[in-house]
Amino acid sequence: MANPPKILLLTTIASSYTGANTVGQAREQYSPNTYIIRVPDPVMFPENFYLRCFQKGIDGIIIMSSGSDCPYEGAYARLSGRVARVYKLMKEKSIPIHKLKLTTICTVCKHPFLKEISDMQAAIAKEKLA
Amino acid sequence: MIENNCENNGENNGDSNNISKNNISKNNCDDNSDSTNIRVGVYVCHCGGNISDVICVKKVAEGLANYPNVAISKEYVFMCSDAGQKLIIEDITSGKINRVVVAACSPALHELTFRKALQRAGLNPFLYEHVNIREQASWVHKKEPEAATQKAILLTRAGIEKIRRQEGLENIRVGANKHAIVIGGGPAGMRSAISLADRGLQVSLVESGNKLGGRLLEIDTVYPTNEKAEDILETLKTDIRARKNIGVYLNNEIANISGFVGNFQATLKNGETIAAGAVVMATGNKSYEPFEGEFGYRTQDNVVTMPEFHGILCNIRNNTSTNKDFIHNGKHIQSIAFIHCVGSRQQAETHQPQADGKLNEYCSRICCSTTLQAVNEVKKHFPNVKVFDVYRDIRTYARFTEDGLYEKASKNGTLFFRYTEEQLPTVQGKNITVKDVLTWNEEVTFEAELIVLATGIVPNNITNIVEKLKLPIGADRFLSEAHPKLRPVEVANTGVYLAGTCQAPMDLVESCVGAAAASSKAAIVLGKDHIELDPYVAFVKPEKCDGCQKCLPECSYVGAIFMNKDGKAEVNPALCKGCGACVAVCPQRALDLKGWSLEQIEAMVDAIAEA
Repeated sequence: MANPPKILLLTTIASSYTGANTVGQAREQYSPNTYIIRVPDPVMFPENFYLRCFQKGIDGIIIMSSGSDCPYEGAYARLSGRVARVYKLMKEKSIPIHKLKLTTICTVCKHPFLKEISDMQAAIAKEKLA
Repeated sequence: MIENNCENNGENNGDSNNISKNNISKNNCDDNSDSTNIRVGVYVCHCGGNISDVICVKKVAEGLANYPNVAISKEYVFMCSDAGQKLIIEDITSGKINRVVVAACSPALHELTFRKALQRAGLNPFLYEHVNIREQASWVHKKEPEAATQKAILLTRAGIEKIRRQEGLENIRVGANKHAIVIGGGPAGMRSAISLADRGLQVSLVESGNKLGGRLLEIDTVYPTNEKAEDILETLKTDIRARKNIGVYLNNEIANISGFVGNFQATLKNGETIAAGAVVMATGNKSYEPFEGEFGYRTQDNVVTMPEFHGILCNIRNNTSTNKDFIHNGKHIQSIAFIHCVGSRQQAETHQPQADGKLNEYCSRICCSTTLQAVNEVKKHFPNVKVFDVYRDIRTYARFTEDGLYEKASKNGTLFFRYTEEQLPTVQGKNITVKDVLTWNEEVTFEAELIVLATGIVPNNITNIVEKLKLPIGADRFLSEAHPKLRPVEVANTGVYLAGTCQAPMDLVESCVGAAAASSKAAIVLGKDHIELDPYVAFVKPEKCDGCQKCLPECSYVGAIFMNKDGKAEVNPALCKGCGACVAVCPQRALDLKGWSLEQIEAMVDAIAEA
């Protein structure tokens, strides 16, 4: 049986990592092929970081940022710009852009958190079928 | 319990004694130049059954026992217990390990517990990695124990990879100037200044107006106690006068401000300079100014805002000869209508955007209670005046206001009409037309001689300070806290604290509580001679930096990163906030974040992806 796809969740210490904990505290269930990495802010990742992840075998990446409530001045705007450039590079390399998604998840965003995972699972499954 | 002690392992036999000596005598901070010297202790927690009921912790520990650099891999029922911590301490002090990974609950709960355990054992507390296999594994994959176990192994491997590349860190220490600047002399600023002064700090209270009080000066009485605003203000002023360590600067503003926690420098408009260790932002709010013609404002002389109405009430009450008669502009007023949500909860379909193109989508929170307080005051002092309350929702949320104000208004003859966001009431002369939800959307027109707009609040314009200190502003234009629940009065800029309505709409009690919290935070920081800051800041590897300067425009914090005399980038750790924006743009990878390096994160990804 083929290994399930691996989805990387890049979460922020200030928001989405705590949001993931909130999901756990509520005992909401989601697929175990999801791997959470916490960082101060995903703005630290250069464009090639994402390409490298795909190259290494990660099937989908959800960037769970703090959005416009990000405690770091200007970081979200920079992150958005960076992700836009990653999409461009992904297109150039024929990597489907649905494999990367920039979202905003707060400390209590249980349902958006689950929906993003579910959406990414569905997109990857669809891609595999195709 | 599984142990794979590297002292008994052929690879490391030769130098085990030296390693042990290094561990204890050198705090294990600098021994990772050679990866064979890195000995990681992995501890997998059962958390009672919270983890082990789903995840096979034995399998996790066994699965990691032979992982590179893992010297010990154990599982235990409660790692956070004294006995659990003792396991780690003994393994460190006996020289078996010099890095620790605990796979357990959320780091929010026990990361600090284990860091302190490392410290007690003489190991640098930052040589520790916490892996969350409870909230983010056992609790969320209950029905898939095998997959949850495999995930726990991968996450712990990732943790091992991170800690293998971790150097010992030291908290950043900066001096603390035991002086605080409070910007804004409203109730929140005054309350902050008093609290800070009571903690022994010198305080400079800077107010742009010619007297202290802020918007409390505009108010007649306050809800829910009906106290006179001027009495509350007098109490605060007396408290300030009684404290010799508070300096008040009236008719003054911050012309320039720079620096970092412990060492801020502010220049006032009068040229005076103030050196301070902390800044409390109490810059407050102002009433929403309706557009010309919005509900007849400025185009009709019978339409006023709530602050203007408070002024009218004060004038009438101060004029005893007109007792029981509500006289405004020489006219006996027989009927007053209050319209809620003016300048708040705006939406594109029905409201005109503000000058910056934005709508005030937020609820101003204080207007419903303020309006009902005013309604009740009118009915109390002028019982013959008819009062109409035209509302969208009644949100009298504070204690003693939820029932008290609304019920009182309902019983004293006030007539309520409810409109919806789709159809706002209209004002034409004395006539107000409402499509009233309470009478099944009947269109009702009635007359009111005076129309009061329950105007919301907007933050004061503090662009100068925001730009100078690089403070975060939310979509609603209020200052944005670092975290609404975990750090509600702090911003990312350490040493700057938020008090009152500069942060969000709030009433007087909430403002003063926020102010007390902000001053407590500031006093804690300035309570010691030195301030210890998290070590998670950017750093430069000078040998890799080619001086391209791409990092400079990427940084939002003035002075955090600069070019030194050798033409290399250099980071001021006291000013760096550790966001990592500069790391991403360095083509030479000369910049990185301490404790969260790109190499560490890439290694974590590899551990997850390649398994």
